[in-house]
Amino acid sequence: MTDALRKHGRGLLVFAVAAYALPLLLAGNRYFAFIGGIALLHVVWTAGMSLLYGYAGLMPLMFAGIAGISAYAAVGLMAAGFAFWTALPVAALFAALVGVGLGLPALRLKGFYFTLCSLVIQTVITLAFVYFVNLTNGDTGISQIAPPAWFGGPLQGVGFDLVLATLAVGAMVALVLIVEAPFGRRLVAVREDDELAEMLGIDVVRQKLAAFFVGSLFAAVGGAFYAPYVGFVSPRSFDVLLSLNIWLMVAFGGRGTIWGAVVGTVLLAPLPFLLQDYYKVKDVIYGLLIIGVIVLLPGGILGGLGSRAAAGTGTQSPGLRRKEAA
Amino acid sequence: MNRTIVAAGLGLALVTPQTAAAADQESVKVGFVTELTGPWSFFGTACVAGLKFAEATLNPPGKRKIEFIQIDNQTQPTQAVAAARNLDIQSKVIALSGPTSSDTALAIYGYAEQNKVPFLVPVAAFPQLTKPGTRYSFRIEPNAAGWGYAIAEFVAKQKPGAKIALMHSDFALMRAISAGLKYQAAKKGLKIEPEIVFPQGSNDATVQAAQVLAANPDYVVVVGAGGFDNTITNQLLDVGIKPEKIIHPYGMATQVKGWGKRSVGSLYGTFFDANLDTVTAEGRKFIDDFKAQNKRLPSYVENYCYVTSQIIREVIDADPKAGDDREVFRNTLSALKSKEVTSGIPIEFDKNGARKEYIYFMQIQDVGEVEYKSKPVFTTNWDPEIIPVYDLVK
Amino acid sequence: MPTELVLISTLFTGLMLGVIFSLVAAGVTIIYGSIWMPNAANGQFFLLAALALWSAAVSWGLHPVVAALLVIGASVPASLLLEQMLIRRFYDVPNRNVSYFVLSLGITQILAGLFSVTYGVWSDQFQIPPLMAGITFLGPFPVSNSRLAALVTGVALLAALFALLRYHKYGRAIRAVFQNRDAASLRGVNVRAIYRLSFVLGNLVVAAGGVLYAFAYSFDLSVSWSMSITAFAIMIIGGPGSVVGAVAVGMVFGFTQAIVSAFASPTVATFSYLGAMLLILLMKPSGLFAR
Repeated sequence: MTDALRKHGRGLLVFAVAAYALPLLLAGNRYFAFIGGIALLHVVWTAGMSLLYGYAGLMPLMFAGIAGISAYAAVGLMAAGFAFWTALPVAALFAALVGVGLGLPALRLKGFYFTLCSLVIQTVITLAFVYFVNLTNGDTGISQIAPPAWFGGPLQGVGFDLVLATLAVGAMVALVLIVEAPFGRRLVAVREDDELAEMLGIDVVRQKLAAFFVGSLFAAVGGAFYAPYVGFVSPRSFDVLLSLNIWLMVAFGGRGTIWGAVVGTVLLAPLPFLLQDYYKVKDVIYGLLIIGVIVLLPGGILGGLGSRAAAGTGTQSPGLRRKEAA
Repeated sequence: MNRTIVAAGLGLALVTPQTAAAADQESVKVGFVTELTGPWSFFGTACVAGLKFAEATLNPPGKRKIEFIQIDNQTQPTQAVAAARNLDIQSKVIALSGPTSSDTALAIYGYAEQNKVPFLVPVAAFPQLTKPGTRYSFRIEPNAAGWGYAIAEFVAKQKPGAKIALMHSDFALMRAISAGLKYQAAKKGLKIEPEIVFPQGSNDATVQAAQVLAANPDYVVVVGAGGFDNTITNQLLDVGIKPEKIIHPYGMATQVKGWGKRSVGSLYGTFFDANLDTVTAEGRKFIDDFKAQNKRLPSYVENYCYVTSQIIREVIDADPKAGDDREVFRNTLSALKSKEVTSGIPIEFDKNGARKEYIYFMQIQDVGEVEYKSKPVFTTNWDPEIIPVYDLVK
Repeated sequence: MPTELVLISTLFTGLMLGVIFSLVAAGVTIIYGSIWMPNAANGQFFLLAALALWSAAVSWGLHPVVAALLVIGASVPASLLLEQMLIRRFYDVPNRNVSYFVLSLGITQILAGLFSVTYGVWSDQFQIPPLMAGITFLGPFPVSNSRLAALVTGVALLAALFALLRYHKYGRAIRAVFQNRDAASLRGVNVRAIYRLSFVLGNLVVAAGGVLYAFAYSFDLSVSWSMSITAFAIMIIGGPGSVVGAVAVGMVFGFTQAIVSAFASPTVATFSYLGAMLLILLMKPSGLFAR
């Protein structure tokens, strides 16, 4: 455990400094701070996706659905009078369990069929969000979600951003610990060759199931924080496009590298906001970017650069990282 | 970042000298967050088209300049909240407006109420946008549960004790309409049977059309989403339901065109229509200009966005401080008593920001390439809380 | 009489939807079976064909049949161009289904972006002028001739597809590649040429599905995603790479939607076939018709 931290210590330290600096640097402008906060929230999600996709070789397109279940559960519990901090663990655990339950049949599928199946599951979840009006308010969504209480006052502004930074750092530490543990190595073995892994005595389905549960927890925790941070949830907040985007951030940054997910998130998460003024070409730019990466850098940005050194230091400010990518 | 400034201020380019006071003042900025991409892009774009026509006369010389800053929300609530925040903080707008979709409007509603930014919703019919306790949000369009109420009133007048078949897509808007309809139908002794709900993404209604035919109702209230609306209508007509029995809760120009000639005789609800003789001279000019440019008639969506610009002008003119102080803007808007320049219909908001509501039911007479003919057969207006809208639809 | 009416309309709807689902799923499975490309953009291609048909028939005023042939024909050079520019780059990449999936998401994004600022701004509903006027009675159930023609054409297309795959030498070569590309290559089959052919054929079938859909129903831009998902679901249940599976399951999907929505509700129908998919996967993960 300490080995893992030592190995990635510098990276984690740099990331932590950057994550905490971000809200403080942007504190003067609540709009940019909000984009920063959303990016930090996405780091939690991409860390989970990185575990699932980068290490366990699963591509769960129902990821957003699980985040959504957690968000709705948290909002529901808060409406029933529970504090956010009580609702959070309950909602997250509940959503992760539901995720595993829904994923169970799909997890028996190998490789890409799992992905296709998870896509359909995501569709069912979205339909359910619309259909169970009494629980979710349907496609109208739930607005004016109150911020969590924090030492007697509401948690908002820079305070909330710093909590999200803590969450993002925690997610990365957890990712490092899991990946460097024997469990993580078993996952990589399963990803590389599940038949061989089976022969070596690894229970493939059980490993996948465990990974899926842990990955779903990341999704669920992110979802529970999303609700009060944005202040609004609706089925469209957690549709398949979010799953795809989170997955894309991992693939874009570099699959199977610790920091690839972070690089991908920092580059892609703010993009839709920064391109708001270029709405006519936004989707086309985004699509070309995706195609460009898959054609020119099939392993993602960090994977494409290849060197461990790049993977270890790709954690400074967004500006620096953009230079590295170039 | 180069922002699209909708109010290009063309009026100001004229060399008319302005009064010193007005020239000194900074222009008033209004944020317009709407759906320019994503599933709802048609409505957002139509809305902006309507707004653009109003801008020709928005900034007469001598008055304080108003500019609309337009941002696309991608029909995505997170983007809508971010855009609202962007306009609030970066551009320091005095008020927000623009959304035409359910969830984006509600997402901004939450932001506006929490951050005390006046929010004037042009086209979104969810009752909850003006639920009790709302202070900063105001809505121009009647709420959807009210439309359902009005349909029940209309049918009860046409045929007391009538049986209504109800077919609708599972969208919040349509659920609200059906909630209002069912509530008032029960009070008026109308029967709703069968009620058929289609999940989002449905594409066929043949079987349901046959079921409706078999049930032999007096009226069929139909509302589908997008292309599906047309499909249901066609399939009802295919199985032999008479157009005179079909009521669409709302009809925009593109929809009427889509229903086509075979729908002549069928009915639709609207809040502004080129075929109404209550349209004012300015409204007539708007219709003609819009038609020349877009090869179709404007409907209530375009009209409400046109009227949005008028309302903001009147608020700024009514109190010079309204352009600089959101609380003053809010209070002035709340106290505003005016009329839609295009139709003469009164504009007045209740304590929750809802308007005195109204609807016209039109019967289609003829459908052409660009224009269509229809005649009003029933009109009514009502107090937003005549039925318990805020309890009927959560 | 009313029961008969509902019954026949249910059968007709099942067939109509089934034929369209089958065509699209067959196109998707042909491409997946040969080049392992899970084309997430298939719904956008489907929509592209429908929108192009609308432009040709409504904006340019071409006769609907001419417009339909033009659109389906145009899918061939378009597919060849795409194959030349992007698809063939990945023929030898390991784990290429992932690369292809990313690629197809990129294409989806671009097409969706283009549609939303063009067609999406013009209207929220698109309708093609009917192929022919009039109504035919199937017992007590009246059907517009236009939809009947779309149904008959769809059935004919499916039959032609089967004949091609079964009896034509290209069809046999495609199936040989589906089953074992190394063996096919040893037997002198030009695998890359077959890849290209499959890509073109698959897209052509998807485009034909889009065109028929546009004749049978009014549509809007949202049809693309629901069609993508439905096609994937059908392919998974039927067994990826199995055209028989795609057609059989496509038909089952069509009839499930029609029957369940007639006797329960349209919402239950949607949940039920997606639920059935999960159940089948639980019991037979490789799909019903997998070899």
